[in-house]
Amino acid sequence: MNKPQERPKALEVSNLVKYFYDPSPFQVLKGVSFDVQKGEFLSIVGKSGSGKSTLLYVLSTMDTDYEGGVTINGQLLTGESQNRLSAFRNEHIGFVFQFHYLLPEFSALENVMIPAKRLGKMSSEEIEHNAYESLRLLDLEDQALKGANRLSGGQQQRVAIARALINKPSVIMGDEPTGNLDSKNSLAVQDIFRNLAHEFGQTIICVTHDNDFARNTDRTIEMQDGLIVNS
Amino acid sequence: MAKATKNKVNSQIASVHLTSKIWQTVVAMLGVTFGVSMYIFMNTFMNGVNSTQDDLAFSNLPHIRINNETDQNTYNPAIAMFGGNSLVNIRNRKSIQSENNIRNTAQVMSVLKHQKDISEMTPQLNVSVFFRSGAKKINGTVSGVEADTQDRMFGSAAKVIEGKWSELNYQKPSVILGFVLAQNLGVKVNDNVNILTSDGVSKNYTVAGLIETSVKDVDKSKAYMNIGTTRQLLGKNSDYSSDIMVNLVNRNETSRVKAALQPSLKYNIETWQDANQQLLAASQMRSIIAFAVSFTILLVAGFGIYNIMNMTINEKIREIAILKAMGFSGKDILSIFLMQASIIGLLGAVSGLILGVVLSTLINLVPFKIAGLTTLPIMYKTEDFVLAVLFGMLTTLLAGYLPARKASKIDPVAIIRG
Repeated sequence: MNKPQERPKALEVSNLVKYFYDPSPFQVLKGVSFDVQKGEFLSIVGKSGSGKSTLLYVLSTMDTDYEGGVTINGQLLTGESQNRLSAFRNEHIGFVFQFHYLLPEFSALENVMIPAKRLGKMSSEEIEHNAYESLRLLDLEDQALKGANRLSGGQQQRVAIARALINKPSVIMGDEPTGNLDSKNSLAVQDIFRNLAHEFGQTIICVTHDNDFARNTDRTIEMQDGLIVNS
Repeated sequence: MAKATKNKVNSQIASVHLTSKIWQTVVAMLGVTFGVSMYIFMNTFMNGVNSTQDDLAFSNLPHIRINNETDQNTYNPAIAMFGGNSLVNIRNRKSIQSENNIRNTAQVMSVLKHQKDISEMTPQLNVSVFFRSGAKKINGTVSGVEADTQDRMFGSAAKVIEGKWSELNYQKPSVILGFVLAQNLGVKVNDNVNILTSDGVSKNYTVAGLIETSVKDVDKSKAYMNIGTTRQLLGKNSDYSSDIMVNLVNRNETSRVKAALQPSLKYNIETWQDANQQLLAASQMRSIIAFAVSFTILLVAGFGIYNIMNMTINEKIREIAILKAMGFSGKDILSIFLMQASIIGLLGAVSGLILGVVLSTLINLVPFKIAGLTTLPIMYKTEDFVLAVLFGMLTTLLAGYLPARKASKIDPVAIIRG
């Protein structure tokens, strides 16, 4: 295990155990423990069925059916109420999935603005300004007012990333975030992630199949049969 | 401000959902519109019918009628003399004429005057007679009335189609005939008509006017005279009458007033509910039908809304999942979909109100010329409008709540991981 020395921890996981009961009882996570430092760009790799995605969803706070402890930014989240977890996700965690999950009836700009409006810490003008900033970062400024369902696949995925960045979350989690992107776009996204981690101190945790992607990150955790085999 | 933008984003999402599939929204709304408008239409129409029915009924029916009809002759002198244990046998026993009348009218009326629930009262002396004109002989009733109070209670003056009701103010030999009765007798105003009582007294009266009520039986057989003139015809004193008609401030209070009066009066007190139970039953049954029909329509509308909301939620299940991943709580999702339901309900209720009023107004124009009516009756009551909106909103919210709750409980992990 790679123990951190000076830098503060963004995420601590201790002894995670999780079972699936359907169709038959099966232990997916068999006691996983690790820490992630603030500003670290981390990838989790492993064959399908190794439990890497399951681990990510436990870390995301959306899946609460597990044993063990998850601490993000020094705050123990295990056992918190769903409402508190929702509010925490809204403020501190950004998500990028393999599929973009944009709201099709809204424009790209509005899609990016939604999490910030939900957080409600800024005025609409500030939110709009920040949303444009995020879109500019992903080279989508000129697509801002287009409907989300009229963008190309790559553009949609980049809008989804812009949306994950809008609240300046301390942790960004990705489940195959570049899975639907061509190699050029994929590289651009990796650069953005690395930049966010190193310049702005945001922690990035991505589950990926892509070995090139994993090689580009600060650290790679490899999982097999519900255990960390290499980190 | 924080809360404001947060609620704003919920309502923004709700309104986009409503407007992106505008036809679905309109169809859901139309269900409520029809339900609410039918509720309004049915109830205003039933109110109109009930009120017309009551107006017709109370044009010659008092709220309370006091008479002496309870006097069943149970007095047996033999039993009184010898006691109940004796065996008495009287053959061919005869009864004497018992008076079915009120002989102390002034006293009874002074007792009634102390009841503050009573708005109006008038004594009547009703007698069965024969009306004769030439060789024609028709049996019917003469009502001896106090012209003023009778008019105030039953609006009789307005029903006089020829001559004047005020002719009955004075004790003079004039009579106002039902107009069919006058036709059958072949008499006109200012002609004479002969009246023959059961005691064989016969007297001539001048026809002072003709009256048309909406009740055919009355028009065919009834005549009005001054009560003094009638007493004179029967040879009775000025404290003698057959009935005292009483109207209350609120006609639904009859049973309470009856209970209050019963101890101080030895006469029979008959409320309109006792005398005309069919009136009450009919109006209640009409209300039940009106309620059942509009409730059924609202129920169907509710199922429609339930279906459409369920469809929307199934279509948007991935969006709901991502909203939850981004930090929208179950409560936010619930409020997004309840907002949609309540907007559908509100729009439906308002358009239903308008449609209902339009329908009622149109129905009110349909000619209907029976029993003194000119068009179908409609009567608006504020409570119907309030209840219609309330029922409409309630149905929509209930129908929207179940799918909304389902949406709020979606597990984002299950959807996003597939």
